[in-house]
Amino acid sequence: MSVANLKEIQPEPGHDTDLQPILPLPPSEKPIGLWHMAFKKFMSNPFAVSGLVVVLFFVIVAVFARVIAPYDPAAIDLLNANLPAGSPNHLFGTDELGRDILTRLIYSSQVSLLVGFSVALISVVIGTIIGSVSGYFGGFVDTFFMRIVDVMNSIPTLFLNILVLSIFGSKFSYMILIMGFTSWMGSARLVRGTFLQLREMQYVEAARAIGVSSWSIIGRHLLRNSTAPIIVNATLMVGGAILAESGLSYLGLGVQLPDTSWGLMLSNAQQFMLVDPMQALYPGLCIFLVVLAVNFIGDGIRDAFDPRKKVKIPRRRLQQWRESFLKSKI
Amino acid sequence: MTEFLIRRVLQSLLVLFLISIVTFGLIHAAPGGPTQIFLSPGLSQEAGRIQAHNLGLDQPVYIQYVRWLGGMLQGDLGQTFKNNLPVSEILWPTVQNTVILMGVAWLFAMLIAIPWGIYNSTSEYGISDQTASMISYIGFAMPVFWFGIMLQELISIKWDLLPLSDMYTMGKEGDMGDLFMHLVLPVSVLTLGFLASYVKYSRTSMLEVLDQDYIRTARAKGMKERRVVFRHALRNAMIPIITILGLDLPILVAGAAITESVFNWPGMGRLFIEMAVAREYSVLMAITVITAVIVVVGNLIADILYAIVDPRVQIGRKGGVSS
Amino acid sequence: MAGKLLEIQNLTTGFVTEKGIAKATDRISLSVEKGKTLCIVGESGSGKSVASLSIMRLVDYAGGTIFEGSIRFNGDDLAAKSQKDMINIRGEHIAMIFQDPMSALNPVFTIGDQIAESLQLHQRISRPEAWRQAIDMLQMVGIPDPELRAKQYPHEMSGGMRQRVVIAMALVCKPALLIADEPTTALDVTVQAQILELLRRLQDELGMAIVLITHDMGVAAEMADRIAVMYAGKIVEEGTVLDIFDHPSHPYTIGLLNSIPGLEGTRGEELYTIPGTIPSINNLPAGCRFNPRCVKAEDRCRHQEPGLNEYRTDHHVACWLYSSEGARNTAGSASEVNHL
Repeated sequence: MSVANLKEIQPEPGHDTDLQPILPLPPSEKPIGLWHMAFKKFMSNPFAVSGLVVVLFFVIVAVFARVIAPYDPAAIDLLNANLPAGSPNHLFGTDELGRDILTRLIYSSQVSLLVGFSVALISVVIGTIIGSVSGYFGGFVDTFFMRIVDVMNSIPTLFLNILVLSIFGSKFSYMILIMGFTSWMGSARLVRGTFLQLREMQYVEAARAIGVSSWSIIGRHLLRNSTAPIIVNATLMVGGAILAESGLSYLGLGVQLPDTSWGLMLSNAQQFMLVDPMQALYPGLCIFLVVLAVNFIGDGIRDAFDPRKKVKIPRRRLQQWRESFLKSKI
Repeated sequence: MTEFLIRRVLQSLLVLFLISIVTFGLIHAAPGGPTQIFLSPGLSQEAGRIQAHNLGLDQPVYIQYVRWLGGMLQGDLGQTFKNNLPVSEILWPTVQNTVILMGVAWLFAMLIAIPWGIYNSTSEYGISDQTASMISYIGFAMPVFWFGIMLQELISIKWDLLPLSDMYTMGKEGDMGDLFMHLVLPVSVLTLGFLASYVKYSRTSMLEVLDQDYIRTARAKGMKERRVVFRHALRNAMIPIITILGLDLPILVAGAAITESVFNWPGMGRLFIEMAVAREYSVLMAITVITAVIVVVGNLIADILYAIVDPRVQIGRKGGVSS
Repeated sequence: MAGKLLEIQNLTTGFVTEKGIAKATDRISLSVEKGKTLCIVGESGSGKSVASLSIMRLVDYAGGTIFEGSIRFNGDDLAAKSQKDMINIRGEHIAMIFQDPMSALNPVFTIGDQIAESLQLHQRISRPEAWRQAIDMLQMVGIPDPELRAKQYPHEMSGGMRQRVVIAMALVCKPALLIADEPTTALDVTVQAQILELLRRLQDELGMAIVLITHDMGVAAEMADRIAVMYAGKIVEEGTVLDIFDHPSHPYTIGLLNSIPGLEGTRGEELYTIPGTIPSINNLPAGCRFNPRCVKAEDRCRHQEPGLNEYRTDHHVACWLYSSEGARNTAGSASEVNHL
């Protein structure tokens, strides 16, 4: 081929028509929103979906407790005390005062879910506000809030909860508020961290340069971009709060009689361990199941939003492929 | 390094100071004020006033605070108002007992968790890794006290293998073998909780390091994978693990509180709960402050270790490690 | 063939992804002579880095696997070796330096430790002796005060200094082949020139061959004896540095050359850019991989993939424009390269 030919195929710079590709670029997959993608990914994760099913089950049980529960949760029936599980009228048996255990389990789910969701909400709201202010403004404001976080983190949350509850009294509403006020540090650190990264981004600087107000930048640009980690954190907080409530109630500082909660039932069951060992099984199992389910959901959401998520292939499989390659060479 | 140390120590002192104010303030913010809280119920007005005067409760708040803080600094933790026992006399033995329980469980968990996590990072998604991940899920979702109760029912009551609760069998106080038998169950409960997070921490931390460019460089130099993992990766992976161990201290102490209650272990956590029910506020304040001191000192040690392991922590680095 | 230090044939390296196996290099063939420099040029995503990692067999650790082909180094097929055997080759006979000197050095060990370690891994020498040689090497790569510097940690050095350290670490065992993956990309322009100059000097002194991976035609012009242009996992053009610069043939190569400022076109004219972006290896177009971006694409380009054919003596192109018989050689391309 001659040099002339070569010249012919050289596109001449500056001529737009020459630079247009003859074919349009291959159509990429239909653009799908981040949320839509995440939802699809979430729904294809069997653990996350089963977690969702379990949580929904408990939510329904809690909402319709009055309809589902066969007895009054506080009804004492001393003639039928300490019935074993599988008794004709009491599927899960009765406790030492003859109260139906299944009924009490059902009503307890109300407490656990209510505490779980409201504490998570309170703590995430506080954490997000403090974290975003701290991360966006930095400097003195940041130092101030981070010292508060240090202080809060240096006293075990459980101790703080107990201290406050014993001072102000173990009211249900107090318990929720106090648990919320003592558990926001994690989300504050998280939001602050993402904000510190995001605020250096070009689009934030651009927004600042054209005079968008700080609050508007926080609300519109930064918060929107940290939604996914905040949601994941909130979900995991639900599980933590349910565990914390059961712990407080078990210790006698949370939910008070005649109300009921799984933690309270456990502390009761422990006293009658020698008489009816099975009583301790059910409430613990309920707590375990709900928290496990919530954690599955949280992990599912996190994985759904994580673009870098690896394919789970054991090294062994790769090794097998490699061996088959080597065999084919021989 | 010296400057780094000094700054961290000052920071810790500030945090401790704030904690003392929070604790003190909390008691004084209670409905009815400290008088209501500190005085035994059922006293006549006159007797109440005398007791309040003896306790210094009629003084202005800041003077009360300075007195209390001064007392704390000199090791005077106050007195219980039932029986007027010195708080330190009740408290110190329980601190010791908690340290025994926690120390054993924590060491035990670390010895298992860190090597296990490292191994799992090198064989991701293998059987061992899946097992660890299952244990993590269980450990994070299971209420510790329930696990404890279940162990008691099965091992102590049904099979009668180990003592049900307490630290020593009556009349055998100080016997090491007896102490060991009593330790097994609570340590198992605590270990599961620690394992759940530490295997995960060390695995994640190792995986992150193994993904770094300098690990690729190390491999390109032609060294055995074992050397890559143990010499080049491990030291870097320890850096975040150390920080997390420091940050986790309060969880450790609090986790012990519930376990101590389940097994009737005469530790600081159980004392705190008992005293909360009995409304013995001087004990509660003392425990809160002592716990905070343990936590803050623990964090400080973690930071110093961090600075030793990581040569990048330098004098001029703003905010040190914790912020 | 005599003089060939490294000969790669039909190398296919792939990654396992959620959607199946993605081939990062697709049956590529390359060779390097002793003491010479081969530049692999291409955009990011063209598979050039994966090719270099495959030679070192480090791609195994990045989740990739060699599916096909051979990598002959002094006659030994590296693709068929176990990781255990590769340990004796890596660092001693083939060394590698990477793009980002800021992250290529282990932050918790001193510079001297890291260089001496290379030596101690492959030679039976004492630690003081290894340190002495490490300091000599630091001197050789132009680091002032080598005794002092050897005791420092990576974070105490600038980017250019660190890249010198990385080079010292790679070359301390006097390897026959150095693979340099974008060694200057992360550095300032003035430092870039110094590093390239250093590499050339060391090549003369140590007589090693270099495989230089770069996206920068300017760097290739300065360093290369031969150039291979990669696009989306394929080699689209291969020849001597003169062939490529005087007779660029593949439209992609021409595009790359035209986008160098100051080479083609005069002052005041807009800089040429190749339209579109490189396709992902998960989603390759049918036919020639370059066709959606090619100004000369015809119908055939959209359906059939061209093979790499010898178009002038020792100058190979994979493009239908230079294939008089059209679809002649789609499958036979590999054998053509064999007698390179």
